[in-house]
Amino acid sequence: MIEFKNDFYADIRTEDRSRTVISYTDGILQEMKTSVECRAFLRVYDGRMWYYASVTDLAHLQKTLDGLYAAATPNAQILDDPVVRRFERNRDTALRFADCSVRDIPAGEKQALLLSYLPLLSEDSCVTTHKGLYLDRNSLFRFQSSLGADITYDYQTCGLSFTCSMTEGEKKFTGTWQKGVTRFDELKGLNDELRAAVAEEAYFMRNSVPVTPGKYPVVLSPEAAGVFAHESFGHKSESDFMLSDKSMRDEWQLGKTVGSSILSIVDCGSVPGCGYVPYDDEGTRARKNYLIKNGILAGRLHSAQTAVALDEALTGNARATDCTFEPIVRMTTTYIEGGDLDFDQLIAPIKNGYFIKTINHGSGMSIFTIAPSFAYEIVDGKLGRPVQISVLTGSVFETLGLIDGLTRDVHLLSFVTGGCGKMEQMNLPVGFGGPYVRVSSMNVQ
Amino acid sequence: MEKEFLTETHRSVTLNVTGGKIDSFREKEETTGTVRVYENGCIGVAGCLGIPDENALTDKAREALALGIPYPCKLGGALEQEDLNEKEIIPVSELIPTMQSFLDRLGDACPRFAFSNKISLNYRKTEYRNSLGRHLTSSGSNVDIQLLAQNRGSGNLFDTSFVYKGADFDPDALLSQFKKEYNAFYTSADIAPGRYPVVMDISDLFGGTLQHFIAEMYASGASLLSGKLGKKVFSDRLSLKNDMNPATNPGVCFFDTEGCVAPDLRPTLIDRGTLVGLLTTKKSAEKLNLPNTGTAAASYDGVPTLGFNRFYAEPTAPTLSALVPGKAIYIVMTSGGDITPGGHFASPVQMAYLMENGRLVGRLPELNIGGDFSDFLGNDYIGAVRGDPSPDSMLCAVVMDVNM
Repeated sequence: MIEFKNDFYADIRTEDRSRTVISYTDGILQEMKTSVECRAFLRVYDGRMWYYASVTDLAHLQKTLDGLYAAATPNAQILDDPVVRRFERNRDTALRFADCSVRDIPAGEKQALLLSYLPLLSEDSCVTTHKGLYLDRNSLFRFQSSLGADITYDYQTCGLSFTCSMTEGEKKFTGTWQKGVTRFDELKGLNDELRAAVAEEAYFMRNSVPVTPGKYPVVLSPEAAGVFAHESFGHKSESDFMLSDKSMRDEWQLGKTVGSSILSIVDCGSVPGCGYVPYDDEGTRARKNYLIKNGILAGRLHSAQTAVALDEALTGNARATDCTFEPIVRMTTTYIEGGDLDFDQLIAPIKNGYFIKTINHGSGMSIFTIAPSFAYEIVDGKLGRPVQISVLTGSVFETLGLIDGLTRDVHLLSFVTGGCGKMEQMNLPVGFGGPYVRVSSMNVQ
Repeated sequence: MEKEFLTETHRSVTLNVTGGKIDSFREKEETTGTVRVYENGCIGVAGCLGIPDENALTDKAREALALGIPYPCKLGGALEQEDLNEKEIIPVSELIPTMQSFLDRLGDACPRFAFSNKISLNYRKTEYRNSLGRHLTSSGSNVDIQLLAQNRGSGNLFDTSFVYKGADFDPDALLSQFKKEYNAFYTSADIAPGRYPVVMDISDLFGGTLQHFIAEMYASGASLLSGKLGKKVFSDRLSLKNDMNPATNPGVCFFDTEGCVAPDLRPTLIDRGTLVGLLTTKKSAEKLNLPNTGTAAASYDGVPTLGFNRFYAEPTAPTLSALVPGKAIYIVMTSGGDITPGGHFASPVQMAYLMENGRLVGRLPELNIGGDFSDFLGNDYIGAVRGDPSPDSMLCAVVMDVNM
């Protein structure tokens, strides 16, 4: 039982994380382990400074907490501090995965599932080496604060990732296909999907042609659109970047037009998937937050500190990669809302453009960059040859204004490798997605 | 049965900076232990968080042999080597006042910038022992200043960065260097599209190519370097290494997780234009019949895999002005460039300066750089310089296509 002291705000976040990794290269076992780690992150606030500690010795949390209290300065008015007043005091237990925890599935069953897919990777003779990876994670979180918050919730992802390196003559390609889900059973029966993915990689290697650099109309897949939304605008919605320079608040006033009138971007922590965060790491309940609604700047993402600084409501976006870091403002699941077209209608008006199907990575500040993996020509409204593109790039705001078509259906994606990086905190699981998105002009290189 | 035993301790104190003021103090300490056992060509691994019980871990590692993970390799033979760098850079109790004073002076010198992000003091100690008598110990510290600068009113997440990582803290030298960048930031410069010497951090230049140095990818034929091992196909001026030498990479461990110690503490990939090494573990080197460069890393409870510390290029000039006399483009931040399967590289550049005779002249508008990967290592490679403009910098110069 933790004893919180008066005259300070404090909270303690613990995570009991189980993680399984099984990997094969060319059919030979490389790694098979299940790690269980328990860590805690403690915070004490005296109204002036925050004092943090990250520990693995959960038997002595009180001692660590008392050490932080000793470093801080007592403040009899701490409960009147605007940041402390803003914290929610939720008490809840939200266990979604108790009946399907990957902890309860024997490692041998996970290994057998992965092994069942490996023969599909070498059906085409151009594959010179291949890797198969099974990953899962189940976490049990508890958050307690000196204000009385006490939340327990769980989180789970599992998935498969397959990488094939292929060569034929001078042609080379390395492609990765992966599937991230929240329940182990959803990883069964993927043979046709995986076989098609490997066949497409081989087709791309054999037939792709270099792009002629220039400006073209581009159609982004839900994967590419989701990364575009995340990188181009999502990071700009993280309000902590507005704390250092007060003039930023004038530049980023809500109500300003920032994109095409058909564009709406949402961030929501309660969406199932790898960006599921029912309560953030300050104990704030998740909610649906519009960042852009119909092209208008509609909101931004907050921790308690940034919500107070900008006098806006909490959003549930104070997140830490794990219990070795303090929460900072991060996205959860970020997506573009759908429009009114189907895919054929979306590409029909394009005489000469490109369809970006999958991507390697993306980034964005005032300019954004998307590095595609699979891309195809669009010629006279039809998909054409596969093309090699290094990067798509452009001004964020100019491009947001050039979005002129959206399909109806929205696809949200989860991944089990990689994640979002922000400063020192890398690989935070986030979800993203959207409809197919048409942009009237992008710089293609 | 052969056995390896490792312990590693990390300690850090990190300050968060918002608007030039320190608003948080974070302490972390973590010790891990690892036992790896080898028998009949297989490996068994066990690890723990906290101070390890070697006997208990050894029992668990033995049990893990039953998984049958192949790892045919020989352990390194007897060698005793120790490199302990225990010098205190700044006492923890003085870190906040020392850094707040530095930030105040920086704010006075650069009033149009708003500074944020982290300053940390980091300490690491690693010990490796094996059953053949190899015993290696390494410790080291660094101060890591990672400041983001917002040009007030720009509306950007950040506009440039002031960074430094070293075993010493000399606020006067850092302020002088940051002030030069600040002055150049507010001076406009321009340049016509064309081919120019481009100067950039070695990791930004070569980071995207790292996968092509991986032994398995090389052997599969999918690497752009496949078939070039042992051949002199790059520039004479290019010697490219993995920097595990604390003298140039403060705080780094001088051996890899398998107890390999490279000559000069820098595993070599390219030596004066010849591809001489790839990124290998003992296992991949053995399997592919390649020389082991000693670039293995592992989580505390995992089978060794590949690791990489930081690129190091053998300097070819003493100063930037000697490396690129005349006009050059000095790149501070790229924006996620990439290479096509055919080897074409392209990248937008978020922040770059025009440089003349090694001196920053002014800030260039956003631009794009590009070229061919093999040319970067070959005809277009100009050379490298270390310690200019800051003591920790490692910059390379390459001729590239530059477009606005």
